[in-house]
Amino acid sequence: MTISAAVGHLDADCFYVSAERVRNPFLVGKPVGVLGNQGACVIAKSYEMKAAGVGTGTPIWDALEKCPDGIYVKRDFRWYEVLSRRMFDVVREFSPHVEYYSIDEFFFDAVPLPGKTLSETATAMRDRIRAEVGVPVTVGIARSRTLAKLISDAAKPFGASAVLDRSSETELLASRPVTEITGIAGRRARRLQPWGIQTCLDLAQADRKLVRELLTASGEALWWELNGEPVAPIHRNRPLHKTLSRGGSFGGSTSNPVVLHAWLVRNLERLIEELHYHELLPGRLALYLVYRDGRSGGGQVRLTVPTDRFDLLLDAARPCLREAWIPRAEATHMHLIADDLNRCRDRPLSLFDDPDHSEKATAVARLKSEINARHGRFALRSGATLPLANVYRDDANAYDICDIRGKSCF
Amino acid sequence: MCDAVAIPRHRLPLDLIERQSLRRRIHERGGEPELQFHYRDRNPRLPVQRDGRLQIVRWGNGRGQSRSLPRTGWTWLETVESGGWQEIGGLPVEIPATLVWDRGVWYAVRQGVRGLLVPDERGAAVVYVICEPASSYYRVMTRSNRMPVLIEERI
Repeated sequence: MTISAAVGHLDADCFYVSAERVRNPFLVGKPVGVLGNQGACVIAKSYEMKAAGVGTGTPIWDALEKCPDGIYVKRDFRWYEVLSRRMFDVVREFSPHVEYYSIDEFFFDAVPLPGKTLSETATAMRDRIRAEVGVPVTVGIARSRTLAKLISDAAKPFGASAVLDRSSETELLASRPVTEITGIAGRRARRLQPWGIQTCLDLAQADRKLVRELLTASGEALWWELNGEPVAPIHRNRPLHKTLSRGGSFGGSTSNPVVLHAWLVRNLERLIEELHYHELLPGRLALYLVYRDGRSGGGQVRLTVPTDRFDLLLDAARPCLREAWIPRAEATHMHLIADDLNRCRDRPLSLFDDPDHSEKATAVARLKSEINARHGRFALRSGATLPLANVYRDDANAYDICDIRGKSCF
Repeated sequence: MCDAVAIPRHRLPLDLIERQSLRRRIHERGGEPELQFHYRDRNPRLPVQRDGRLQIVRWGNGRGQSRSLPRTGWTWLETVESGGWQEIGGLPVEIPATLVWDRGVWYAVRQGVRGLLVPDERGAAVVYVICEPASSYYRVMTRSNRMPVLIEERI
């Protein structure tokens, strides 16, 4: 963790589309949309498709009306991760401290190449990634993370810029609406409105105490960053998770309790994989269901003892599902969240746990994990997931954006 | 299902484009132009890779040119596998495609589509696109219950 004089931000330009174009150059220059997990919505679009009015999250049927010549691609997070790691390796050649913020965004300590300015260094990094990885990126360098991100956003696409003097900063901040700052949207922006704070410059020039009052300490941190005082460090390693979760859309809706239970088991198995990887044990489990009619339901339970055992966690999660379930209502999303996370090495013993049973459950978990490591994820899974045969048949469902580890963003 | 396919123009030799009068099938949507082959075309054709050579052959029998072949442009994978075409002498072929069109949706494919090449009663080559029941992803994406069998890929 470091705080340095100049911070860089690299952001890949329409990354998923660019990644598809790396392996299929025919798509270059065409309107392209990458479809999400269920094939229903555009999760990334090329600039050509964006120009036709298609936004991220647009359902494919609306996108077809706006852009009949659009080409759609099924997402492939394995491939996107390969390119993301390659980009990361290139950035590491330029900087000793790089943060893997998300699959397509990195922060880094900006160090000028010998004999070059920071602006020339940003250009060199952008061009090297284009040449070696094939993905167009934009690089911004500034006195803080927040400024660097604003600069790269303003320089898109395929831009490279270093803004370090106050007059250029002021010019940039005056031209960007305050909502372009990560962390200021909707409710927070509305809180600023009565005070006439509409641009990034308005926020930077506002009274610091007022900003803290309106946006709490995190808002004050943004104020410092906008004024060129870096407070958010570069994390070379992802900070410890406070929560872990798995879930998402069903790709349709269901009111069938057997299918809902199958989704619970699938999400729990994925959650346990993550707990094992991070060597963490949850002390609390929560489950939320979102229904098609806008309602939602939830249940949570404090575990008697923190555990990563499938049988114990499933026993704990079932009552949460019952609590979240609304009979005959069509559910569309489920989220299973583990928090109050404890280190595995601090695993407490339960007074009521049968040691024989515990040993058997641990042996089964080990076997399951070994078989899946050898034969593929979910090759061995709970029989309760059988109602989701279609989900498991699609190999793309075995690897999602949340399976890409080490990102500090989420 | 598969109502059309498209391939980059550079994949087809110029003399083949001229000989087969394919110029009217060239379409531009930015970047490299493509050649589109629609089933609903007045002269439905498909590119086919056969014995290492790219050929342009008739797509199905929708216009009833043949009295012996089924009046469609598609066949089920199950029919092919159960020997339904054995008597006519069907030959599995690859239809090179970069894009496939189904119910108004153009989607990208990596290598192409599987097809079955059969002779009509006059000995002319006819290709049928091989289909299978749509995966749930495909059904959501295209609202179609059938999808083409793709080469080394499943959507």
